[in-house]
Amino acid sequence: MPTGLDQLKHIVVLMMENRSFDHMLGSLKAVDARIDGVSDPLSNPDTTGALIKAQALAEFQGQLNPDPDHHFPAVDIQIFGGDTSPGRVANMQGFVKSYFNQRRDVGHSQKIMYYFKQSDLPVLTKLALEFAVFNRWFASIPGPTICNRAFAHYGTSFGRVDMDPFDVIEPIKSIYTRLIKATPKHTAKIYYYDTASSTMEVVNLLQNQPELFGTYDQFKKDCEKGILPEYSFVEPNYSDHTGDSGEEVANDQHPDHDVLAGEFLIAEVYMHIRRNPKLWPNTALLVVYDEHGGIYDHVPPPACKPDKFHSSEADPGTNQPFKFDRLGVRVPAILISPWIPRNTVVDRVFDHASIPATLAKFFLADDPNRSPREINADVFIEPNVAPVDANRNLLSLANMRDDCPTFDV
Amino acid sequence: MEVIHVPRPSKKAMYPDRPANGLLLAQVSHLQHAERRLPLRYRSDIYTHTIRTEGEAANYIREVTEAIHQAHADAAKRRAKPARRRRLEIAAAAERPSRKSSSKRKTKTTKRRKK
Repeated sequence: MPTGLDQLKHIVVLMMENRSFDHMLGSLKAVDARIDGVSDPLSNPDTTGALIKAQALAEFQGQLNPDPDHHFPAVDIQIFGGDTSPGRVANMQGFVKSYFNQRRDVGHSQKIMYYFKQSDLPVLTKLALEFAVFNRWFASIPGPTICNRAFAHYGTSFGRVDMDPFDVIEPIKSIYTRLIKATPKHTAKIYYYDTASSTMEVVNLLQNQPELFGTYDQFKKDCEKGILPEYSFVEPNYSDHTGDSGEEVANDQHPDHDVLAGEFLIAEVYMHIRRNPKLWPNTALLVVYDEHGGIYDHVPPPACKPDKFHSSEADPGTNQPFKFDRLGVRVPAILISPWIPRNTVVDRVFDHASIPATLAKFFLADDPNRSPREINADVFIEPNVAPVDANRNLLSLANMRDDCPTFDV
Repeated sequence: MEVIHVPRPSKKAMYPDRPANGLLLAQVSHLQHAERRLPLRYRSDIYTHTIRTEGEAANYIREVTEAIHQAHADAAKRRAKPARRRRLEIAAAAERPSRKSSSKRKTKTTKRRKK
């Protein structure tokens, strides 16, 4: 069996907020043509009909104000360019028009097309080039945060496309419950930043299973002691607030929070794993974003096998029902492990249902009580069961790398 | 091995009076949903309709998150107590002397003779 898979004991997922692939990693196409980022012809029409190109003019803070709309109706405009006819085709031409609706300012609406230069994001871009970057990781639904994060926890959002509290519908259980109730028992934890930031999974998990949760400080200590659970889900800080250690700047990168604060968080999570020689060889870290935040990306989301839960015509706000049969907009996703060859680029299609799908296949036995979306989602870590498909296994190196990057955090 | 510098965010990035974004307001709504199910002694005295800024949202989020954890911790303590109390009661009962002496105990034979 591949040594990387044999050694793998811990999977960590850090899910950031509201930035698209082109916005964060689009600059890397100029470095590696296999990375499906920004190229010269990419553009969107503004409300005057002028074609606005994607440009490397993104700023860390203060630019995307107001927060670009990323609810279902707005994302529908962004993907289909405002076309609501039957048989419409996704053209990714509605981003500027959608952003114009919020401030009615033509010049300001064009900023939705801006992306970061490679030098602006030394952490994310370095990790993308050094490990495995996913060209086709999409949000699970063309809508907002709560539903997309639900796919990471449950493999479904139970038919919801909005931000309201939802109920878990049995027999589907969260991946955490499935891991800790399994025989043999596995370990799982959600680390939120602190109690003032808390978790986005309140109504079902925090309310009923608070023992699943720890803080980011505990995550760091658990890394130092080498006692991470088998699965860790890390949430960033969602607000500027005063914590026990003083001022805490939001580091989720949700507009209009400072993108540099998120770079620091990503580097810190990586380095805490990297620094422990007993943890680093045994851990895979996935850095991923929950959804695109209303920001431009050029890749039309593909169709997918529908979920068994559907939303009515009224719920999405588009007068059309949604069968969860197409994915949301593309987001940055990077898999990090010393067993992954440098400059790995993955072209298979993934979404957040791939997270519980991967954990279920790697740690658990087959379970029919999962959503169709999870059952059909691709996995980013192959189960360590012969035969392992060498074309799919990303942790493929025979010898662990000794040249992985180090950051000064 | 080169150590890559990570720029730190500007101090101006910190702005707790920033208007709370839709995500934070949704999180407040979810926590309010959970808070309604808490016993009164765990509930905050924050009127969520007054929350406007990130700092205000964070205060409420902290209070209710900690209350949920506390409620569960208290319930766990209560679950642990009764078993211990039962064991103490059984032990105390075993040591208590019998309330009636043998001479005063009435038997069925005694009762029938009196009639």
